Amino acid sequence: MTDRLDRWADPPLLVLASLADEPKHGYAITQDVAQTMGVRLSAGTLYAVIARLEARGLIEPLESDDRRRPYRITAAGAEALAMQSERMSKVASVARERLSARLGWSGA
Amino acid sequence: MTRPPSPGPPSPGASSAGPGLLARAALALYPPSWRVRYGDEVRALLEDSGGGLAAVASLAWRALPAWFWPPRHLHDRPARMRASLGTALMFWSMLTGLGLVFAQLTQFQGLDVPGHPEVRWAYAVFDVTLAVSVLVAGLGGLPLWLLMLRRAWRERRRRDTVYLLLPVIAPVTYLAALVVTVRQVGGTNGISPWWFGVVTLAGFAAAMAVAATAIVVAVVGLCLWARSFAGYHHGTVPGIYLALVVAAATVTTASAARGARAALHTGA
Repeated sequence: MTDRLDRWADPPLLVLASLADEPKHGYAITQDVAQTMGVRLSAGTLYAVIARLEARGLIEPLESDDRRRPYRITAAGAEALAMQSERMSKVASVARERLSARLGWSGA
Repeated sequence: MTRPPSPGPPSPGASSAGPGLLARAALALYPPSWRVRYGDEVRALLEDSGGGLAAVASLAWRALPAWFWPPRHLHDRPARMRASLGTALMFWSMLTGLGLVFAQLTQFQGLDVPGHPEVRWAYAVFDVTLAVSVLVAGLGGLPLWLLMLRRAWRERRRRDTVYLLLPVIAPVTYLAALVVTVRQVGGTNGISPWWFGVVTLAGFAAAMAVAATAIVVAVVGLCLWARSFAGYHHGTVPGIYLALVVAAATVTTASAARGARAALHTGA
């Protein structure tokens, strides 16, 4: 499921959210993000994000004998994700409240 | 580090054929350190997901920022310095080229145009920004360039040495060709606008060949656009020009600062 605003989605946040429960490799991240959040991440976008998050210490690679190296979220990454989730939750709450008021008014 | 219990779902699209030629070409656009670190993973992802033109195009497009903003954790100090120097040279070349266009646009109107004080301001801001950019390029870019040149020379990396000498070779070649051309085609009133256009375009081409091929198209477009306004005495063109100059000087300053920081960074 995608929508017209999916290009405004924040890919780093999506990747952090995807790694919040367990480590995943690149393909698993794209599948998870597509299925649970409705956004398709391309290979270029995903690895640009992974490189950036790794550089900032928000995720870390795990050892792997396979080429499909898994990543896991770090404590700093979990903290950043929690803060951003809280902020988004407030935004969502305000948006829902105001939309319902507006739709109630305009629908009259 | 530990192995994860479950790195993710299986890869139904996995194949042993490997990514296609286009995908490998797109991956080849990335800096070497980036490819060493992430190349295998991206290839695996493309195998699993089936690739496709959109994925390849995205991969190719993302190679550009990988050059301009090399990831710090890869500790690729030469790449960071190269990126900084490349950016500084590109915008400095753009600045110099814009200076030529500016001179051509305003040479017949003088400093004082009745009712248009912005022309005098344009000259003043142009002088200041050009001086600052030259200073910044000299202080920020030159030491980096010398450092990289010395390393390439000592390590006998001939190709890199030639690349690093291009900022000298290309302008010198261009200026020599310019002197010969002007002597051949110039009259008592200097060269004609047509020849001015030719040498300006050649100068742009030489400078941009040093800095970045991709910017050539944009600058040639700018030059052609600016020439169509030749003789236009109002402040619009200098105003737009000033915005470009300030932007170029700003980027040059930031890039040189980043390069200096990369030069001082020893890595972990």
